Amino acid sequence: MYKRPFFWIVLAVIAAFVLVPGISGDVGLRESLLLGAVYIVLASNLNLMIGYTGYVNFGNIAFFGLGGYIGMYLVTALHWSVWLASAVAGASVSLFALLLGLGILRLRGAYFALATIGINEAVKAAVSNFSPFGGASGMYLSFSSFAPLGGPRHALWIIYFAIVVLMGASLLLSLAIKNSKFGLGLFAIREDEDAAIVLGVRAPWYKSAIFALSAFLPAMVGTLYFFKNGVILPEQAFDLTLSIEAIVMLMLGGQGTIFGAAFGAFVYEQFRGFLLVSPLFSQFQLVVAGILLLAIVLFLPGGFMGWVYRKLPRLRKVLE
Amino acid sequence: MLRMSAMAVTLTCAVLLAAPFAQAKTLTIGFTTSETGKLNADSKPQLLGFELWRDQVNTAGGIKVGSKHYKVALKYYDDQSSAGRVQQLYSRLILQDNADFLFSPYSSGLTATAAVVSEQFGKIMITTGAAEGKTYRLGNKHLFQLYTPADKYLKSALDVIKAKSPKAKIALIYSNDGFSSAVAKGALANAKRMGLHVVFDESYASDTTDFGPIINKIVASGANVLIGGGHYADGSTLARQLHDKKVNLHFISLLVAPDIPKFANLGEAALGVTVPSQWEHSVGYKPDFGVAPSAFTKAFEAKYGNQPGYHAAGGYAAGLVLQHAIEKAGSIKTAAVTKALNGMNAMTFYGRVHFATGAGDHGLQIGHDMVLAQWQKGANNKLVSQVVWPASAQTAPILYPLKTFAH
Repeated sequence: MYKRPFFWIVLAVIAAFVLVPGISGDVGLRESLLLGAVYIVLASNLNLMIGYTGYVNFGNIAFFGLGGYIGMYLVTALHWSVWLASAVAGASVSLFALLLGLGILRLRGAYFALATIGINEAVKAAVSNFSPFGGASGMYLSFSSFAPLGGPRHALWIIYFAIVVLMGASLLLSLAIKNSKFGLGLFAIREDEDAAIVLGVRAPWYKSAIFALSAFLPAMVGTLYFFKNGVILPEQAFDLTLSIEAIVMLMLGGQGTIFGAAFGAFVYEQFRGFLLVSPLFSQFQLVVAGILLLAIVLFLPGGFMGWVYRKLPRLRKVLE
Repeated sequence: MLRMSAMAVTLTCAVLLAAPFAQAKTLTIGFTTSETGKLNADSKPQLLGFELWRDQVNTAGGIKVGSKHYKVALKYYDDQSSAGRVQQLYSRLILQDNADFLFSPYSSGLTATAAVVSEQFGKIMITTGAAEGKTYRLGNKHLFQLYTPADKYLKSALDVIKAKSPKAKIALIYSNDGFSSAVAKGALANAKRMGLHVVFDESYASDTTDFGPIINKIVASGANVLIGGGHYADGSTLARQLHDKKVNLHFISLLVAPDIPKFANLGEAALGVTVPSQWEHSVGYKPDFGVAPSAFTKAFEAKYGNQPGYHAAGGYAAGLVLQHAIEKAGSIKTAAVTKALNGMNAMTFYGRVHFATGAGDHGLQIGHDMVLAQWQKGANNKLVSQVVWPASAQTAPILYPLKTFAH
């Protein structure tokens, strides 16, 4: 994998995410890049389902939220370290996704998409009524929880670096899958699932495995993100809007491409962030965002990478 | 000599011209507000309250700090009713916009998220629109809550029940959202402590439109008093369906919904329904400093053309309390203002303001009481909202028990 140019591009991106705010000490930039990194993790892992396998998953935010809840519970109630809590949350949610996938991935097309919306709502309702997770009023983190990481000021930096590492892991995971036999099986399912089965692809197993894999890193990031926020509430953790936004990010960058997913997520975050604080656009930032997204969908249906590949076909081997 | 005189005149003129500018120091207060998203309706009046306070302070010459006067500038961004960008925006407010003090966003969840940043930078944050008490029990040093904590929201309703019919059978039903659940949990604990009898305790989904099955359960439980609710849509639907089904209840107290003026459109279904409120424009508090309730109401109506609710009053009170603390401290330094806020125990137009100072609950509001408002018939049989509890804020006697239906 390290022979591929994109591997080194990913490393360069991670280095930039670490070094630029790290050296300048710019907290505002760090906060902006942190959201960008979280969105890249969400979009990259969603890309494994939508872009690689052809299954539209509206419920990907359920993995992020559930990971956040499990991690926050382990930190607040059982006083685990946030790192261990994050890893256990990732593994637990992945297992949950695997079992869930074996059931709902028998559905295809719109039926699967609808089922994933139902899953998000069902998990949200279950968590809202689950007392150990604080029920509807959620869980709050004591300020002293940041003490092992050197207090809030240091903790927020450390969490940021950890999320950047997970962002890099997401991109490399996508690259590894894309260049593997497993990835080829997924692409075959995306193009024609019945034909893929005839050719020997074990579609149910492949789909469940990618569903579980696509849950692992978002769940880990969920723990770190809500730990940083200091509070987790059902409406924040299972916000369907964020699921839809992640799909928009994919469309913006170009689904099925690793660089496109990451680029779409990053640009979307920066664009929304700019509109929010712009004196000129802040009053109608949603209108501007909507119009631009509409234009992209209408005129660049393959997303940014679709346009790049058309104009510069040689870049296909570099920006995967 | 002539040249020297000209120079002296020029310098004098320059000093005189520069004097007003030298005095015009600015104090920046940063916050996020929900200009978009589901919290917009509640967040907007809070912002209007902040702005009214700023305008009045600046018209009066600014906040007096020793011999200096500081004009107030508000710097705010849209948080989209979502926690996602709150920490980013509060960091920006502190680091790039150089906010001297902070107000909270609207809602407990967003406030808890912002508090991580305000504590990180040691900035004072006056919180309003954030009733959940958990945030203040996490070891903060710079948060100051204006709202009565959620677990005490229904305390005034329970006081009424205790005073009027201590053997009443209470039905506690509430929306399954964070705020309403926290209120219900507190009410249940308070009811037990007061020796009151809760015979039915159940939550419902916040988007419930058919309360038939729940109402049947209430009737079957033998409850004759109902407390709970959630927000406008579910609360008003519940009140209407209780009336339609002719459920005989001596007392009804619902969260939020009856505090919205259009609740009166329910007509007979609204009559007698009470709402715990942080503030009502008709309260008769006599403030130790700042405006009287009637003066605030008049100024708000003159500026915005409508009557202020408790969200707007909370916004104005946040500014007023901060201003008083700064003036009392004679400094804008965090340590001095924190000390002044910690020592505050005063009556304002908004009610008493007194913050807990213990390490385990710093900043929790312990002085402010909820009032209980009730829809009653006024002139021409028109429904009007009256403050009926406590006696210190009362504008009309309470209707208790409510009229019963003949079956």
